[in-house]
Amino acid sequence: MTSRRPRLIWVILAHLALIVVVAVVLYPVMLVCKKAFEPGRQFALSASPIPTEMTTDHFRDLFTERGASGDLLFLRHALNSIIVALLTTVVGVALSCTAAYALSRFRFPGRKMGLTMFLVVQMFPATLLLLPLYVILNKLGLLNSVLGLVLVYSTTSIPFCVWTLKGYFDSLPRELEEAARIDGASPWMIFRKIILPLARPGIAVTALFSFMTAWNEFIMASTFMTNQNRYTLPVLIQSSVTEFSADWGLFAAGAVITSLPVMIAFYVLQRYLVGGLTAGAVKG
Amino acid sequence: MSHPVVRQLRDFVLGSALAVIIATCAFVAVRNRELAAKQIDLASRAADAIAEGQAPLPTVHAVLVGDAVPSTKNPYLRQREVKDGDEWRPLTAGGSFDDKLFYDAASRFERQGRQPFKELLKDGSGCAIAVRDAPAYAQLGHVADRSRGIAIAVTPPAHPAPYPFLVMIGVLGLGAALAAAGALVGGRAARAGTFAGVAAVAIPCVLWRAPIASTAIVLVAAALALAQGAQLTDRLATGMRRHRTALGFLAPAALAMLILVAAPFVIGLVLGFYDHHQGTWTFVGLDNFGEILSGGGRPLDDPLNFWFILGVTVLWTVANVALHVTIGVSLALVLSRKWLAGKGIYRMLFILPWAVPNYITALIWKGMFTGEYGAVNSMLDYAGLDHVSWFGSWATAFSANVITNTWLGFPFMMVVALGALETIPKELYEAAAVDGASAWQRFRHITLPHLRPALGPAVALGSIWTFNMFNVIYLVSAGQPGGATNILVTDAYRWAFERGERYGMAAAYATIIFFILLLWTVFGTRVVRRKGDDS
Repeated sequence: MTSRRPRLIWVILAHLALIVVVAVVLYPVMLVCKKAFEPGRQFALSASPIPTEMTTDHFRDLFTERGASGDLLFLRHALNSIIVALLTTVVGVALSCTAAYALSRFRFPGRKMGLTMFLVVQMFPATLLLLPLYVILNKLGLLNSVLGLVLVYSTTSIPFCVWTLKGYFDSLPRELEEAARIDGASPWMIFRKIILPLARPGIAVTALFSFMTAWNEFIMASTFMTNQNRYTLPVLIQSSVTEFSADWGLFAAGAVITSLPVMIAFYVLQRYLVGGLTAGAVKG
Repeated sequence: MSHPVVRQLRDFVLGSALAVIIATCAFVAVRNRELAAKQIDLASRAADAIAEGQAPLPTVHAVLVGDAVPSTKNPYLRQREVKDGDEWRPLTAGGSFDDKLFYDAASRFERQGRQPFKELLKDGSGCAIAVRDAPAYAQLGHVADRSRGIAIAVTPPAHPAPYPFLVMIGVLGLGAALAAAGALVGGRAARAGTFAGVAAVAIPCVLWRAPIASTAIVLVAAALALAQGAQLTDRLATGMRRHRTALGFLAPAALAMLILVAAPFVIGLVLGFYDHHQGTWTFVGLDNFGEILSGGGRPLDDPLNFWFILGVTVLWTVANVALHVTIGVSLALVLSRKWLAGKGIYRMLFILPWAVPNYITALIWKGMFTGEYGAVNSMLDYAGLDHVSWFGSWATAFSANVITNTWLGFPFMMVVALGALETIPKELYEAAAVDGASAWQRFRHITLPHLRPALGPAVALGSIWTFNMFNVIYLVSAGQPGGATNILVTDAYRWAFERGERYGMAAAYATIIFFILLLWTVFGTRVVRRKGDDS
């Protein structure tokens, strides 16, 4: 922070320390990448993160494994994951756009309480609602159904979308809206013709985060989807390494394919994430 | 809207909507209870009749069943002899729907030590079944062996009474008329009219013998009349009219939250007062909470004792957040040095654990800790240390969880701290350097105060996340050894899905967790934040 250059020894020490941390951070990830291409079901025969033999068998197995009903498991589960995550995103964004706008622009009694409620619901874990949701969905016959899981995910996705979108709407200038109001545009018209087009980037980022959250969710999916045909990818991946039969090769291949797209998305979007999270926390 | 009758009817609609919801719940509950009682009674009378050798009841399918004996054709299969009406035939588990019921019921009867039982079938058909000893069987003299007979009766399916729409419409019409009449007279009569109108919905509830619902409706009516007297309803209506644009915009999300979050939340609260056993719920009052908070009579170091788990959870949260903050802030401090080359690359690599889905992280570390030749043990080998059986003892299993969670959690704190460090004006450091402040003094009096406002909320958020970090505990140690590394959320889950479906216990757990979190968000975060504000 001081502009003076420090002594060389400090520079070297700093780099050394950072490289150690880099090694610790990279090691587990490299181990999985190695396992994905290394033959055998065991997790690791050596601590080295560099494979000695290369094979693509695990990927082939992953894509050709068939379930009891003869379906290709991985493709079916990937399809389930995509449908659930997409629907959750659509429900979340569609229902929360207008609410986020109202919370950002209008002043009305109960606004603060509403904001706090959305924040609390978003912060508190969905696992607290897991049991009542399970009992309700069971009663309604919605276990093992895509619709049921989408409803469950919406409980967290809606408050998340409301908060992130509200943050984005707050950052948009108000002059355009005031001009439109003076010209006699109705609030709905202003929202549709001015705000929505302006907020497209914010909505896209929010939608992507919402999608990633649903894509990465494990415990709800594993509780609500017990029929193998209805698994989502996280459930498939976890079920390949249970206590009794663990195939780490299959796990690694599945993990690499499943997490690569969301990791890329995360790197592209990460600068938005931190701002949104802490902004929400500060204001709560 | 200014006409008194219109205002009156507006209030009446509000109150009667609530009353109708309550009445409907009461109707469904009463109807189901009566139906179950009637069907079970029918089944049990039919079973009694046939067991004593009397004529069976006409509508009920009642049979006498013998002991299970090896089948003559295939000695590996067991079968029973059944007297169905006047016909004797073999009974197999693979027969018709009723045969399967009879077979299962007979097996269960014998398994439970020939205790008679009667209940409603779980399939929602409304059929009831009754099973008991049948002394008449031995006197029939049909079977060579000396089977002790079993009498089983299954009633025909029954459909619950249809919803009494006409009654409800009639009652609502009457109520509306009463309310309107009151409004026409005006003054105190208006409120009396509101009360009488809404309370009219309680009449059918009284007829259904649903005292709780009747009282609830009368209370709603009284509350509405009082609110009307204090002009609360008028003010509410004006407020809603004034802010109707905002409320309209808010409605979709609010409605969804009401249905998806508020309703399950309330149901969860209520379930905590029930005990669940094999599909039947029994009201047990505060028993679940009592069992949890008293530790269930288990010693304090028992992994099933709530206080033990709470202790583990608090330790878990404190250890993780402390490590996250320490590592995150240290890395941020190094990375914010101006002279450091390649800080962009370092930062990119350091947030890698945040990018990996956390269930995958947990499973990777689980694999690395597992087994004699897991990656971690191989590393210990290289270092010349002994192998550790990571999930064999509490301390190592807990450490394995903490290591995993530290790996995945520090990037968040690092990024927050980096963001905060960027906002510190350079001039402050320059001025301090001019004044001859030491490095420590600059850190203590410039860096820390600027870090706190950003770290406070991040710590609050991180503590809540860690407190509920289900995936790491569930997937890494899975509570091993013997459930001792469970935290509150995973233990609640196990009560629901791994310990005989004790849903009531799980719901009570969730309620308690909710209140702990609420206390922490209200008071705990205030402490964290005040620390941030006062410097």
